[in-house]
Amino acid sequence: MRLYAGICGSFPRPPELRKAINEFREGKIGRGEFEERYRSSFRMVVRLQEDSGLNLLTSGLLLWDDLLRPFAENLAGIRLGRLLRFFDNNFYYRCPVIVDQIKWMRPIILDEVRSLSEVTSKAVKAIIPGPYTFLKLSEDRFYGSRDRLADDLIQVLEREIESLSDLADFIQIDEPSLVDPELGEDDRKWGVEVVNRLLEAVSVPRDRFLVATYFNLDPGSYSILLGVEAGLHLDLSSARDAEDVLRREGYSGDLLSLGVVDSRSIFPEKPEDITGRVEKILEGVSVNALIISTSSWLDYIPFENAVEKLKILGEVLRRLEAGSR
Amino acid sequence: MSYEVPGKLVTTVVGSYPYFPEALKALQLRRRGERGREYEELVRRAIARAVEDYLSAGIDVIADGEQRREDMAVFFAEELKGFRLSGPVRIFDNVYYRRPVIVDKIEWDHEIIVEDFRYVTKLSKGRPVKVTLTGPYTMYTWSLDRYYGDMRKAMLDLAEALSMEIRALVKAGARYVQVDEPALSTRPKKEDVILTGEALEIMVGKFSNVKRIMHVCYGKLERLFPEVLDFPIDQLDLEMKNSNYALLKLLREYSFDKELGLGVIDVHSEKVESVDEIIEGIRLGLEILPPEKIYVKPDCGLKRLSRETA
Repeated sequence: MRLYAGICGSFPRPPELRKAINEFREGKIGRGEFEERYRSSFRMVVRLQEDSGLNLLTSGLLLWDDLLRPFAENLAGIRLGRLLRFFDNNFYYRCPVIVDQIKWMRPIILDEVRSLSEVTSKAVKAIIPGPYTFLKLSEDRFYGSRDRLADDLIQVLEREIESLSDLADFIQIDEPSLVDPELGEDDRKWGVEVVNRLLEAVSVPRDRFLVATYFNLDPGSYSILLGVEAGLHLDLSSARDAEDVLRREGYSGDLLSLGVVDSRSIFPEKPEDITGRVEKILEGVSVNALIISTSSWLDYIPFENAVEKLKILGEVLRRLEAGSR
Repeated sequence: MSYEVPGKLVTTVVGSYPYFPEALKALQLRRRGERGREYEELVRRAIARAVEDYLSAGIDVIADGEQRREDMAVFFAEELKGFRLSGPVRIFDNVYYRRPVIVDKIEWDHEIIVEDFRYVTKLSKGRPVKVTLTGPYTMYTWSLDRYYGDMRKAMLDLAEALSMEIRALVKAGARYVQVDEPALSTRPKKEDVILTGEALEIMVGKFSNVKRIMHVCYGKLERLFPEVLDFPIDQLDLEMKNSNYALLKLLREYSFDKELGLGVIDVHSEKVESVDEIIEGIRLGLEILPPEKIYVKPDCGLKRLSRETA
């Protein structure tokens, strides 16, 4: 079994980058200076991951204002709407308002993923929003049909994935809406079908795909999730009985990412406890590749606490590797 | 000076009011840790101006306009023992705020808003003054927990600490006590609603000689039912206008018979409702409750509006 440790998605913006963004938006610094300061923060976040012993890196998504924003800003047919609460977090995203046919114009996160692959020798994970969550969190004023909207979302995301395929070792499709407890069974099944249609459309091998769910996991949604034809990332920190669900219902895929380090809490976590939990899960689950991860993105805690999370992840990886030798 | 509160369709406010310049200056001083005479005078001047606006509008049950509070959770976290403030956490885009962090056992060790209550009472021309406190559920979920690692324990300690403040307020004469729980409608878990009921029992259960109010707004308010019907409160204060009074149907279904704080003004819009619109909202409320049980008020605090609109 290949063993990885890496964060689920974003890393909090370093203070210096927050300042640079404000200064750039206020016109106090030019694009050149802004990009230089961004690159410095980007290198720092990459180094923090590497120094903590992680072997699967993300770019930190440092310029993403929310999960959908880079896509909402760079796909044709979408304009930005009002701020809405992102699931049950005290965090808000800007609702994409679909006003025309959605079209892919240019690679959206290619430069970011390329930069990451250039500065690290570790495995690289690229992240894109999934078509179902995109659809659920948007306001459709054009299609009037969820099927036609889903078709076009699949098409644009396929283009984006193809552009990344040579650079990323893993491609993570974020689909928190798939485990939204408010969803009915039919809706959830349709969501899985939409994700599978995207996976069928791309030429990248399935064992490099991870469908990330977070914030919830209950028995009803988990059994439907097992229909996803790719690896899964599961949030084992937010839901109180998520690990029981996984152990009880099993997992038969090749790739699994366990969100065992809580990305929304700063309560001290012990690497030895987390290692024990993972080992217990592995008693009943066998996969080709296992990723130890944070439960979701790290936007919900301060920068210094996120650095602690990296260290915990690295320590869990070391303990698991030592245990498997 | 005495004031007779009408027997029906009492008008009131939810709590916050747009900050007066004096309040903004006071908040700057507070952030710098300067809480001396100048700070107190500025806060008092701001409160007095809020009260003046309430009185000129003819509101029956008034409040202090929360001129002292920069944020409803941060304010109480700064005053209770056991909290500190975190490094910046993102709320949207590049906008960050400091969240309360629980670092020790939560305890009450001094009066927090009692002096403000006394001051508003002096200015109120006999009108009753409502006190507003951020509830244990909202305090906990808007904080980061570094100490308890157990929501239940933390919430019950919060409830105990806040009940000490209520005890001091009641001793000072407060008869309208409102617990604000805006976070309660944003999370889907039923056990959280039940736990909130338990915390409220500790917080306000023993104060049966005052009007106990819980304010909730924006979100899936239907998740609170039916458990909220058994909460130890006399009045449920809800946002109604923004959701086009959809909740009234739910209240009817559950044969709701507590008092209702009926939100008839959308605080998310600078458009000022017409008198006819407000009357129509009240009529809808009267379809399910008698006028004696209806308190007429805005959906939520008014602080995000301009003072002119508020």
